[in-house]
Amino acid sequence: MNEVSLLYNYLLVGGLLFVLGMIGFLVRRNMIVMFLCTELMLQGVSLSLIGFGRYHGSLAESVASKIQTGPWGGQMLVIFIIAVAACEAGIAMALVLMLYRQSGTLDAAFWQDLREETLPAFVDREVPEEQQVDRVWPRLTPAGVEPAIDPDELLHRPRV
Amino acid sequence: MNERITYCLTLIPVLPLLAAVIVAVLGPKLLRAHSHIPVILGLAGACVCSMILVVEVLHEQASLPTDRQHAGFEQIVTLWTWANVPSAYNLPSDGVTLAPHADRDAGWRDFRIDISLRADALTAMMLGMVTFVATLVAVFAAGYMEGDRGYWRFFAYIGLFVFSMTMLVSVSNFLLLFVFWEAVGVCSYLLIGFWYEKPEAAAAGKKAFLVNRVGDFAFTIAMFLIWCTYGTLNYHDSLADGTTDPERVAAVTADSPSEQKLIRGVLGQDRILASDYATGWLATTICLLLLLGACGKSAQFPLHVWLPDAMEGPTPVSALIHAATMVTAGVYMVARCTPLFAASPTAQLVVAVTGGFTALLAGLIALTQFDLKRILAYSTISQLGYMFLALGAGTVLGVTGGMFHLFTHAFFKALLFLGAGSVMHAMGGVIDIRQFGGLRRLMPWTHATFLIGCLALAGVFPLAGFWSKDTVLAAVHDKAHAIQHELDHRTGSHPGHADAEPSEPGPLAAWSSQQLTTARSIYNVLYYGAIFTAFLTAFYTFRAFCLTFYGEERIPDQAGHHAHESPPLMVAPLAVLAICSIFVGLAFVAWSGSWGGNILATYLQGAPSLAAGAVAATKAPPEFHLQIAGISTLVTLAGILSAMFLYMGGAKEATVLKQLFDFQGTQQLTDPQWIVELGQIPWIDATTRFLRSVYLGWVVTLVGYALGALSLVLTIPLLIGQFLSPYKLSRNKFYFDEIYTGLVVWPLRILASICYWLDRWIVDGLVNAAGMVPGVIGSLMRPLQMGLVQFYALAMILGALVLVAARLIWAAG
Repeated sequence: MNEVSLLYNYLLVGGLLFVLGMIGFLVRRNMIVMFLCTELMLQGVSLSLIGFGRYHGSLAESVASKIQTGPWGGQMLVIFIIAVAACEAGIAMALVLMLYRQSGTLDAAFWQDLREETLPAFVDREVPEEQQVDRVWPRLTPAGVEPAIDPDELLHRPRV
Repeated sequence: MNERITYCLTLIPVLPLLAAVIVAVLGPKLLRAHSHIPVILGLAGACVCSMILVVEVLHEQASLPTDRQHAGFEQIVTLWTWANVPSAYNLPSDGVTLAPHADRDAGWRDFRIDISLRADALTAMMLGMVTFVATLVAVFAAGYMEGDRGYWRFFAYIGLFVFSMTMLVSVSNFLLLFVFWEAVGVCSYLLIGFWYEKPEAAAAGKKAFLVNRVGDFAFTIAMFLIWCTYGTLNYHDSLADGTTDPERVAAVTADSPSEQKLIRGVLGQDRILASDYATGWLATTICLLLLLGACGKSAQFPLHVWLPDAMEGPTPVSALIHAATMVTAGVYMVARCTPLFAASPTAQLVVAVTGGFTALLAGLIALTQFDLKRILAYSTISQLGYMFLALGAGTVLGVTGGMFHLFTHAFFKALLFLGAGSVMHAMGGVIDIRQFGGLRRLMPWTHATFLIGCLALAGVFPLAGFWSKDTVLAAVHDKAHAIQHELDHRTGSHPGHADAEPSEPGPLAAWSSQQLTTARSIYNVLYYGAIFTAFLTAFYTFRAFCLTFYGEERIPDQAGHHAHESPPLMVAPLAVLAICSIFVGLAFVAWSGSWGGNILATYLQGAPSLAAGAVAATKAPPEFHLQIAGISTLVTLAGILSAMFLYMGGAKEATVLKQLFDFQGTQQLTDPQWIVELGQIPWIDATTRFLRSVYLGWVVTLVGYALGALSLVLTIPLLIGQFLSPYKLSRNKFYFDEIYTGLVVWPLRILASICYWLDRWIVDGLVNAAGMVPGVIGSLMRPLQMGLVQFYALAMILGALVLVAARLIWAAG
């Protein structure tokens, strides 16, 4: 396989992972999920590192300013990154735990008191309250035989 | 160089300044009620020094070498150099375009202003008069202002004023004259508005200063023109490095080779002897602008409106500033600039017309005023008009007459004002003569001295006013005669000469015959106007005197316990001034040995301005004009007697005169009823009946209708006359204040409001808008802080994208 096209594939997957992670971080509100997306971004970067390591490592002799790690430079760095990511995960989880204790929710949008005073707070789109009209059962044209309804089921039907 | 003159000349301004500084610094806490001591001591010292100066100048004038005697005596004392800009301007060699009458040599000149004081006859006389009257007024004020909260402030201002006035008459440079001109204006403002909590006093001070400022503007333009024409602002001749030593200056004048260039002063001896003055429209413009400046300071028409209002200040201030000293600064300036005025006979004519007109105007207004101080203020304006009239005659007799009248007027007007102050002090601040009367038994000393002052003002022989007023009238009369003489010379109708001869050299030679005829008629009119004004002067003076001191004794309630004769501290200056008013004029005439002579005239003719040049050509041997003396005495006696006849009995109003001049009763003429009533007079009734019986009744009807038409035509002027009757015009000061308010004050107020609006809303608005810009930008940036973590992350990512894009583009390009 061509070295460059190998690199391309690695970078593509790595980039894809990174982008997915980025979008996920920006979109999701659950703090743990946001952290997972962060980790995803990290792994995407690791993949690119491995790809570049392999790419530059096999051409080490021809590169003028070599990093004296041989062909395994990228992989070594990734090992370090994984270790650091694990530490950082611990810290992040601790922080999330503290935030959960304070607020009782994992919603990142809860913590918005550092905004400008004049700006309105970000409020979720409210679920509309159940109104009387919602409690109306639909009327179907009667057809066939009226089924036999179990009286228990009638009492326990939560919604239609 | 006379050492004594140097010392005296320097000490005279310095002593009052020192006294003023001492009082200003130590007055509020330390001296307080004793603040008058440094000032009176300083002024008395200055007075002694000025007497010594007068004696020394007389001595020097007498001991002039015969070859210099025609040039007069002057001594210049230079204290230090105020400004010196070396090689400030370059005189081109043709000397035509720039400074046509400047120094003879071309080349670079320095712009140099030295603080140089000048001792000559004119200055010494003014200094003596100013310091003497100031000392007496300060003594009076020590009694008058006793107990006032601003006692120390008053005396500090008086010291400052006397310093400014003495420097004004001593300096030998137009720019310095202007500086001290303004300084006396400032002191006048401070002293008029002395009781600044009183709104009328503050407004009067402001008005005085602003009206003076109008005159000062004209003076400034005149100064610029003098600089452009003559290349220097000094009066005296000096060398380029500022030396004024007469021997060294004379050495350069005599065309001996020297590196020093001679800078001929505008009124220096060299220029006067050479008569190197600008003529024509340039000279006339300079002189008219100088006259306007003098009008502002000396309260002549049209800038006379500030002086009556200035009576809001304390009475010693009125006596010092508005009778004897500040208002005479304008007269002094015109007298000092006699050589400049002599180069422009048109300007001299304008001076005379201004003076004569103002004298008449003020005399007419003073007839109906009820405020004693205002009567005296208008009297001052009128007498200053006399002085300008004399100066406008332009002859040596005229100038000396004007200065003589200035001198005597200072004494008797200060006396009158201090007497009014004494009355006001006794009456508890009331000065309206309708509210008090018959004070001759209550205040005998004030009564006697006031009487002497009134006699002097009216010009009764042998008091001072008689001699000086006589000289003024003689000057105008002689001028008219001289013009007549010149005309006769030209047309050959001079008795004793058969054919027309070339006109005599002199200032009149430049005029055409038609101009001479006009000038002669103007001077004649002014002469008769001056005589009529003398009648008015006597009349209103004695009206005021009789209304105040005669009639039944009435004391207003505000007098309280004050209603007694003034303490000796206040009566002593009155007595001294009364003695001066009696003897000053007589002494001058008697000393010279002949009826027509006047030692003051001979003394003044030793001053360089009068000793040589065009003016000196009009020197005439002193003679006593008996017919003028006779006419003026007659007119004065007529005025005094008619005033005493009308007012001595205690009548507060001459009802007959008021009815006549106020057009009372004429309103009935507009109502046609009088025609019908006319028909009921017996002989008219008989006539009409007779006419009707011979079928000529239509004549009667026609006459009736004619009279009806007449009454209709008369309606409009008579209705106007109700508002503009002579009495009302005089009482309301000819409505000058109202005219000026409409013409000048209101447009300026509107302009000021517009400027305020522009400043507040546009200029400040721009600045405020510039200040609001950061706030606006901030409010645009504020929504970036939402508080949501994802938003911040988004911002970070976008920023990183921008960086990456920039890097890619850079790598690609």
